Amino acid sequence: MIRKSFVFAISSALSLTIFTSTIAKASDYPRRSINVVVPYKAGGGTDAYARALAAAAKGTINAPLVVVNKPGAGGLNGAQSTLGARPDGYTIMLTSGGSFLLSTLTRNTKIDALKSFEFVGQIGQLKTSLIVSNDSPYKTAQDLINAAKDSPSTLRWAHSGRGGFHYIAGLGFLAANGIEAQDVPFKGGGPARAAIMSNQTDFGFIGIQQLKGFEEQLRGLAVNASTRDQKVNSVPSFKELNIPYSNISSPVIILAPKNTPKDVITYLESSLKTITKKPIFVEMLSKRGTAPAYLPAEDTQNVLMEMKSDILPILENLKK
Amino acid sequence: MEIFSALSFVLTSPMLIVAILLAAVVGMIVGAIPGLTAAAAIAMLLPITYYMDPLFALAFLYVIGKSGRYGGSIAAILFNTPGTAASAATQLDGYPLAQQGKAGKAMKVATISSVIGDFMGDILLIVGVGAIASVALRLGPPETFAIYFTAFIVIGSVIGKSIAKGLISALLGGLIAMIGLDPISGEERFTFGVFDLTNGIGLVPLMIGVFVLGEVFDQMEKRNKRMAALNTKAYDKNNDGLTWEEYKPCLPHAIRGGFIGSCIGILPGLGSAIAAFVSYGEGKRRAKKPEQWGKGALEGIAAPESANNAVSGPSMAPLMTLGIPGSTIGAILLGVFLIHGIQVGPTLFLTSKELIYQLFACGLIGIAAYGLIGYFGASQVAKLIVRIPQNVLYPMIFLTSFIASYSARGSMFDVLVMICAGVVGWFMRKYEFNTAAFIISFVLAKGTEESLRQSLLMSDGGLMVFIERPIALIFILLGISVMLLRIRSIRRERNQAENKELNNA
Repeated sequence: MIRKSFVFAISSALSLTIFTSTIAKASDYPRRSINVVVPYKAGGGTDAYARALAAAAKGTINAPLVVVNKPGAGGLNGAQSTLGARPDGYTIMLTSGGSFLLSTLTRNTKIDALKSFEFVGQIGQLKTSLIVSNDSPYKTAQDLINAAKDSPSTLRWAHSGRGGFHYIAGLGFLAANGIEAQDVPFKGGGPARAAIMSNQTDFGFIGIQQLKGFEEQLRGLAVNASTRDQKVNSVPSFKELNIPYSNISSPVIILAPKNTPKDVITYLESSLKTITKKPIFVEMLSKRGTAPAYLPAEDTQNVLMEMKSDILPILENLKK
Repeated sequence: MEIFSALSFVLTSPMLIVAILLAAVVGMIVGAIPGLTAAAAIAMLLPITYYMDPLFALAFLYVIGKSGRYGGSIAAILFNTPGTAASAATQLDGYPLAQQGKAGKAMKVATISSVIGDFMGDILLIVGVGAIASVALRLGPPETFAIYFTAFIVIGSVIGKSIAKGLISALLGGLIAMIGLDPISGEERFTFGVFDLTNGIGLVPLMIGVFVLGEVFDQMEKRNKRMAALNTKAYDKNNDGLTWEEYKPCLPHAIRGGFIGSCIGILPGLGSAIAAFVSYGEGKRRAKKPEQWGKGALEGIAAPESANNAVSGPSMAPLMTLGIPGSTIGAILLGVFLIHGIQVGPTLFLTSKELIYQLFACGLIGIAAYGLIGYFGASQVAKLIVRIPQNVLYPMIFLTSFIASYSARGSMFDVLVMICAGVVGWFMRKYEFNTAAFIISFVLAKGTEESLRQSLLMSDGGLMVFIERPIALIFILLGISVMLLRIRSIRRERNQAENKELNNA
């Protein structure tokens, strides 16, 4: 009996030390709320991931995640503010990786999407789509292309900011089909969607998930991908329509300012893995018409690197 | 009517009432502390709402937004430092009133007017949410620009004594707003290669600097000149009460303010500060004694206070039905909807009708709550605050301004901006430049530029887009006619002044 309780005491003391030592490390971080910078307006597709992440982080990360929307300039406003933040893990950025990468490539900025930040991981993927309002005369993507060919440069199209992946994908679509149209940038997906809905522009490129809840107002003509979207599968893909396009999408990634401590990154990375599996996360994204897609830090960086080599020739082409 | 069953539901759930009361108090406090805005408070409290029932969470934050807009008036009146940008117009007359010992009276006018404006906005929302949404949807970039154009002109009447100095202040505000990244092309402007400037200048540090720190410097300078002259006068028992006779002339201003605020609330993105200034400008233009405005007219509080609260209700319509947040608070509320899996969009009123009407009911009760607490409590606060000696009070305000400007974005650069803005604000006061015109044109300039350039992209650079579209045309014409009227009244004033001089001579 004595021995038993002795063993128990030892083991509990041991487990306590192990427990406290891991806690001690983790309890250094996070000690206060973590700001998650979203460089887009609330209500857009990227924002939905941040809100879901913040809600699902409860119980995994022992501090609240506070979503801070810093919209503007195709996501660079937020990126720049994140870069300027102290690298202590209390400011991280959740961004649309494709848009972010493109912004850094097309704009005069010192930010290098692959080098300026520490990669934490990927939690999802966003696809853009060709959308018109429901009372638009264009019933199919081909209608739109024909109309644009009949009267060049008269059509207007909306997107969520130049340098964003919606914009580049849109330009890619126009170039691939040999048509021209004037773009009108809006600050974020929500305002761009409203502009399409109210026929301020003739069409637009916005996230496919933005159709959710607006099925009566908007008509999705095509998804900018080789396959249909998992969630919104009523809209055909460009590939199945045999319409040329640029295969540009956007992984939803999390970045931290350069020189954020390694153990903080690892902590966040493993937390992301846990969080993205949580039913609440899946459910929240599902309500918004998206789905989780986790990748660890290294793979995230590789995905972006591959995308960069795919995009560069397209960008060169667009310049011509 | 869904709203009545919703009201009875809310009134019979004690927990919800407690949440609303709590939100009313929290909103007033954060609103009253300069730099701590309702939006910041909501952002901080957002994580708590994850654990709440959706109605609870939404009602709590919605009411904080409402009472925070009102709470800003307290600091504006007492210390000449607006708690929020929305109450910057209130200080124009609020502070002179406080100096005359009428702080209690001023605060009561602010309370009643806020309640009137807020009720008007909410009733418009409840009755016409569908109509508001369809109006908001028809407002594209050209219409938005036309409205900004008109707002600029109407606000022109706050410009003050010297037109030249007023215009310089406004231009300076616009110029400061241009710092950062170009809203269309994303290129850097006026950043001089300074990295922090690429983010632009934040409204919160700029406002705290110009209004709060500027005021502290000003008080420091005046300290030797008039020893505690304010202290003995700021609270006068005899001037605490407000009679119906006194409020009567304010009522048309409050109602007009409520109307202006409601209309501005419909337009996504314009916001409370602009509503307050437009209402103040328009009120002054129509006032029986415009010369009293800026020197302590009770009407000068009624007009902006009612307008900034009236924005709250109607701005929910484009938010809920179109997914366009009209303000920071709106953006956060949108987040709450999404977090709780409530699909914002045109179908919201089909899928979550009950919840939405219950939220509206909570809003109505929230207005009553902050109205009652404010009416009976605010003068007590005034009484308490004026007992604090100035040499304790201003250092406290000084410290708060540092904390507030840092905590908004957690940035030391913002503190630097705040200090610089403080020095600028102090000089502007000293040489009678117009700080209000400076801030409001800073706020307006960004949206104006963005909508103008979007419109020009839509029209291949042609200006016809503002004339071809009826709503845009109406606003442009409205702006031009206000401008002509204003020129006429200025000339008349000048003639009168000249005649007077001639007569005297």
